Amino acid sequence: MATISVGYRGRRRAVALLTHAALLIGGLAWLYPLFWALGSSLKSDDEFFGRGLSPLPSHFLWANYLDAWREASFGQYFLNTLLITIGTVLVTLVVTSMAGYVLARTRFPGRGFCLGLVSATLFLPHGYTIIPVFDLMQRLHLLNSLWSVIIVQASGGVVFGTFLFMGYFMAIDRELEDAALVDGANFHQTFARIMLPLSGPMLATVGLFTAITAWNSFFIPLVFTLGRPELRTLAIGMYAFIGENSTEWTLLCAGTVITLAPIIALFLLLQRFFVNGLAGAVKQ
Amino acid sequence: MVMTTAVRDGTGTSGPPRAASPTARRRARRRTYLWSYVYLAPMMVLLLAFIVYPIIASLGYTFYRWNGIGDPSNFVGLDNFRQIVNDSIFWRSLGHTFVYAAVVVPVQLVLALALALVLNNRRLRFASFYRTLFFLPVVTSAAVIGVVIQLLVSNFGDSINSVLLDLHLIDQHIDWLGDPNFAMAIIILVGIWHTFGYNLVYFLAGLQTIPEELYEAARLDGAGRLAMFRYITVPMLRAVGVVIVVLAVIGTFQIFDLVQVLTSGGPYFSTEVVNTYIYHLAFGGSNANAVQPDIGLASAASFIYGLLLIVFSIVQVLVLRSLAKRRGTSTGRQG
Repeated sequence: MATISVGYRGRRRAVALLTHAALLIGGLAWLYPLFWALGSSLKSDDEFFGRGLSPLPSHFLWANYLDAWREASFGQYFLNTLLITIGTVLVTLVVTSMAGYVLARTRFPGRGFCLGLVSATLFLPHGYTIIPVFDLMQRLHLLNSLWSVIIVQASGGVVFGTFLFMGYFMAIDRELEDAALVDGANFHQTFARIMLPLSGPMLATVGLFTAITAWNSFFIPLVFTLGRPELRTLAIGMYAFIGENSTEWTLLCAGTVITLAPIIALFLLLQRFFVNGLAGAVKQ
Repeated sequence: MVMTTAVRDGTGTSGPPRAASPTARRRARRRTYLWSYVYLAPMMVLLLAFIVYPIIASLGYTFYRWNGIGDPSNFVGLDNFRQIVNDSIFWRSLGHTFVYAAVVVPVQLVLALALALVLNNRRLRFASFYRTLFFLPVVTSAAVIGVVIQLLVSNFGDSINSVLLDLHLIDQHIDWLGDPNFAMAIIILVGIWHTFGYNLVYFLAGLQTIPEELYEAARLDGAGRLAMFRYITVPMLRAVGVVIVVLAVIGTFQIFDLVQVLTSGGPYFSTEVVNTYIYHLAFGGSNANAVQPDIGLASAASFIYGLLLIVFSIVQVLVLRSLAKRRGTSTGRQG
């Protein structure tokens, strides 16, 4: 009797151990390209070519980061990317939280039409309409500015954000609001002092979604900074780097780490919101 | 999406809700409506200007030969459409896009479901740590991935090539991204790796909605693992599964960044997908294949592709829905 149960438990533990080993080795191998970039960013040129596949440098050449930051303009690209990301997140949060609140809480004439329009655009394929947007920006004299990138990126995310906020506000109990109204709070006070503070998790979800998209975005900054190299984001800067200084690979690797580190850090910090938000979007 | 939940009349939202004269209440309601429009306006402006207007405007451009500078004036009627339909590279790009989707979607979904089943085991510790490992590529930008992969598979020094040569898997150096026979395969592999995490998280979300009691009951009835997967997991995942498939297909048809960064559609258009094709038409070609910018032509191509995608998505949703429904009822369960 005893031997059977020990045998059973032993087998189960062995299976668990094997599962963990497979998951850990598989997971680390899965991230090999990222480890490789991190290691290569600290290699000397000789080592980069001589021990190309090893993710570990023999000694750490931190000077690559200094060179990438200053000489290869990654400092400038970093600042542009940061400004664009912050701008896009702020615009998106303000616009979508307000719209979501109104759509969830008031029944103004035309609400059905607005909802219909918003949902229709969810089903239309995006990305084919960059040319009229480009033309529109040209006419507004906003072309080749960080603003053009911010506005276009924010408008790409408003529909999704509005829906998320609308769903969230609908689920909040009305009694809080009614109490505020009895106390004489007006429309804006109700929104800013009662509803917005309650929507912290949704602000984090939409904010993080937007931040990741904006930080990594390639197509929109590519098109809207074609004529102005000093406005390039990290993604575009790296892409251009291959064409322009095609030999300093270790600097390029340092550039990839400068691009990846902040957004991965932000993701790890707030991943609960991001993953739950994604999962929620599918379940709905 | 939640849209049908009851929304109370706007009267409650401003001014004291009780004990007000009819005129005061009407005025309060009007004020609420007014502010509602003000709150909604920024979203609607962005939506109309940058999403709705461009869809309509790009239709207008399709009738002009226009390089994007100044106003379009050279009216060419349906010439652009004719040119696109007769352009073999357009059809090849469409073919590459379909191949990309046809390989990436099933491979990704099967792998993601398998890993999700492993990670969903309630007894497995550190599951969220493993989930993070496999999800991380999603957070990295396509530009970074493009650069890293390009450097990794490039032909200098000690590289993938020398390892494969040492293992006698290949007998000469291969220019992976410069060879038309291999470039698309590399893009597909990288594509699977990049967005795999989304599907993993979606499947995990779907699995977590299945009540544990179902499995317990089945276990009491003596059901094996395979039977539980077949008769509990699969039917219960069907509704979420439809959404996951649709999202995966839509995502793969939008492929642009990876291709642009890795090969820019080359060599010799062997990896050109529809979005890079349109981009090259609109903004000029790459160094390798110079093309005069032609916004009219690009808009016509976009329009045709957009139409194809809409038709394709509708058909896809209808087919998957009816499939899910029929199977759901035949096994006595509604997904």
